[in-house]
Amino acid sequence: MLSKEDLIPSRADKPVFRLAPYIIFIPAFVVMAVLPFGPVGGAPNLFGYRFDYVIANFDAGLVLFLAMGAIAVYGIVLAGWSSNSNFSLLGGLRAGAQMISYELAMGFSVVGVMLMAGSLSLVDIVNGQAGNFWNWYFIPQVVGGLIFFVATLAELNRTPFDLAEAEQELVAGYLTEYSGMRWGLFMFAEYVNMVVVSAIVSTLYFGGWRAPLTVLDFIPGPIWLFLKICVFVFLYMWVRWTIFRYRYNQLMSVGWKILLPLSIVNLVVTAIIVSVTS
Amino acid sequence: MSEPATSGPATSGYISSTGEPEPHGYSVEVPPLEHRPTLDELKERKARTRQNVETTGEILTVSMGPQHPSTHGVYRAVLDLDGEVVVDIRPEIGNLHRGVEKLSEERTYHQIIPITDRLDYLSSFAMNHGYCEAVEKLMGVEVPARARYIRTITSELCRLSNHIMWLGVHIMDLGTQTFFCICFRDREYILDLLEMLTGARLTHSFCRIGGVAKDLPDGFAHKCRKVVEFLPKRVAEYERIVKQNRIYYRRAKNVGIFTSEDCFAWRVTGPPLRAAGVVRDLRKDEPYAAYDEVNFDVAVEYNADVYDRFLVRMKEIRESCKIIEQCLDNLPDGPFLAKDSVHTMQLKKNVMRDAGAMIHDFYQVFHGPDAPKGEVYRATEVPKGEFGVYIRSDGGTKPARIHFTTPSFYHGQVLPAMARGEMLADVVAIFASIDVVLGDCDR
Amino acid sequence: MISLEAIKERLEGQFGSRLLDRADFRDEVTYAVAPGDWMEVLSFCRDDPQMAFDQLDCLVGDHLPERAAAPFQVVAHLVSHTHGQRLRIKTALAEDPTLPTVTNLWPSAGFDEREAWEMLGIAFEGHPDLRRLLTTEDFEGYPLRKDFPLRGTIGGRIRTELKGKI
Repeated sequence: MLSKEDLIPSRADKPVFRLAPYIIFIPAFVVMAVLPFGPVGGAPNLFGYRFDYVIANFDAGLVLFLAMGAIAVYGIVLAGWSSNSNFSLLGGLRAGAQMISYELAMGFSVVGVMLMAGSLSLVDIVNGQAGNFWNWYFIPQVVGGLIFFVATLAELNRTPFDLAEAEQELVAGYLTEYSGMRWGLFMFAEYVNMVVVSAIVSTLYFGGWRAPLTVLDFIPGPIWLFLKICVFVFLYMWVRWTIFRYRYNQLMSVGWKILLPLSIVNLVVTAIIVSVTS
Repeated sequence: MSEPATSGPATSGYISSTGEPEPHGYSVEVPPLEHRPTLDELKERKARTRQNVETTGEILTVSMGPQHPSTHGVYRAVLDLDGEVVVDIRPEIGNLHRGVEKLSEERTYHQIIPITDRLDYLSSFAMNHGYCEAVEKLMGVEVPARARYIRTITSELCRLSNHIMWLGVHIMDLGTQTFFCICFRDREYILDLLEMLTGARLTHSFCRIGGVAKDLPDGFAHKCRKVVEFLPKRVAEYERIVKQNRIYYRRAKNVGIFTSEDCFAWRVTGPPLRAAGVVRDLRKDEPYAAYDEVNFDVAVEYNADVYDRFLVRMKEIRESCKIIEQCLDNLPDGPFLAKDSVHTMQLKKNVMRDAGAMIHDFYQVFHGPDAPKGEVYRATEVPKGEFGVYIRSDGGTKPARIHFTTPSFYHGQVLPAMARGEMLADVVAIFASIDVVLGDCDR
Repeated sequence: MISLEAIKERLEGQFGSRLLDRADFRDEVTYAVAPGDWMEVLSFCRDDPQMAFDQLDCLVGDHLPERAAAPFQVVAHLVSHTHGQRLRIKTALAEDPTLPTVTNLWPSAGFDEREAWEMLGIAFEGHPDLRRLLTTEDFEGYPLRKDFPLRGTIGGRIRTELKGKI
């Protein structure tokens, strides 16, 4: 793909057109920094040294994830706008509206986890799920987890919600005019994002790098995280190939009329239970 | 507009051609909707959209096609959009125009058969068949019984292949990819049968004036029977995947409503017409081949939307299987090509052994079949609708004027009337639901 | 359901000698009318409850150079779903042929008339959008006329001056 000709439409807004792939590409990788893929802190674990399995032990890791997700939308919107093509423009507009509606639901559903862990740090959230798999947050947060999963489908532009690039309607949506490695960057970012979001889902709800049973702790954390990521990537691809695409107005009504109220209810119930039990 | 919400016994039940709904053999769970717009509300919505546009005047013009993934070829629709709502559509066709009618005027009646293949290349035998019916009507050729049965079987196989292909494409246009592969897998069984019979997978050129080119090969009946026994199970599987899918239901129900009066006025025929509650099937109404000797029902639905067009096609697959099965059961013996040396080709095996047959073969190849003076029009039911052939003959071996009235030509024209006021995503669904093939459309 | 005989009687009773010709061939009936009566006959066929030809199956233009006085003809094939009958009505046209459009009776005639216009040069008055349909915008000549050659290179080249107009 690197050897393919990089075509830029003559009437495109060239600086923005060139910039857009990076705006999508970089946030996808930044989130990886705050993901714990093994134990952090505690006793020496590697040849007598202590090795933190996280790049940046950042207190507000969850906020960073949400923020980076929001920034990536700019990439899509700018790509759609700068291509100077009707299909791209429609794709960009759809992406913008879709992200706004689904990010709300996603944010609200994550707050439930945050309340239970009492922290915004992904490291603390994983530590909060210590023990066997019945301590993982997906059991108390089953509604929130489902909402989060659905919202990430929209965030990733996967099928029931892939209106931004809706192949059969908008040719390729915001990437219609892209070619060569710029197109490759978009695609690369999409799949990197899928891995990252799978990691986030497993970290928030499925114990991150922790083994499902404590007796299996002898298998290192990164392997468990890798397995969980694989499961979720499979799930995303499965859904993408089997489920129909929503129409635009239906997408909006699902987002605003179902997911958002449900996530708020989930948040309120979680908040009450957490405040009563603690 | 009632839903067939029944769970009957596991028998096969269809809506009979009398229009009486019978219980389905499979349980149908229609997902509930908060609010389903009625026809009046839809019309009001369209009117409102048009009014909005007239006042604000902000229209985005999008050229959908010729190179667009879901225009099924090289159809071009220039869409005027108000946001996501389609205000107007201007169809442009002709990118695949090959001058079929002009070419046909320079050829003898035998030589036109391969041209008709290229009209609707997804069900090319049905096209051969329709053309040969017209020529036989013009020349007054009597087709032997076995040939009529073989024609019926092959036409129905084409219908199966076409509808299964249509289903895959239609579903893919709504966003699902796996289903396309499933449908192509099943279409392969039918293509194998057609290949066994005709030697070609896509353009068969199998029909001849006065019969068919070859007899059924050994083992065909057995293989064919296995496929038609197995296909209804597959159709049940398709319906389980698609029909009860909530998203499909919401995408397809009440989209692209086109009532029977509209259908008549715009010459919409075939499954879209039958989905509007009209019991019209030329196989029953103007029977040809062996259709008056087999027992089948006309598939009818009543809501005239994309969803019902899907249901009609699924029923037609079942009916086609029934027809093929009956034809195989009652297949008569005898010749498969009429013994009419003036109008039909000779069997190749006789040509090399029999002096008379050789002379007639020379006559047919170098001169052509002699047609009387006059004009005929013969319409047949091909998978996409009604395919009519108009021939004006001045005598001689070539038609003075031949016109192919292809269903997709009119279906391509009808898209604006059907999809105006709907949303952009619906245009794709509607266009898929009327089943346009551009070879058929542009001729 | 009304038989084809009854339809013939009804049409002949209504128009009498204005129906110029009747041909019965292979159980099909063809009436020839004058171009001036074209609209009237077709609207009668559609609107009269005993005729009720609610569908125009196709509208075909034709060229007969051997008929010097009226080398063109337009043939309309009508279908009645109510009575299950078919009828063919045709009219002969002189050089520079024009006919009133029937798109107001059957909208499906829109493409048919455009095709007849581009292929044979038969103009339809009052057609909402009489443009070339199947051939390119810059195509010259009328391909389905008998004097048009089967082979040749008329039209079909890329014309840059048409950029933005198509």
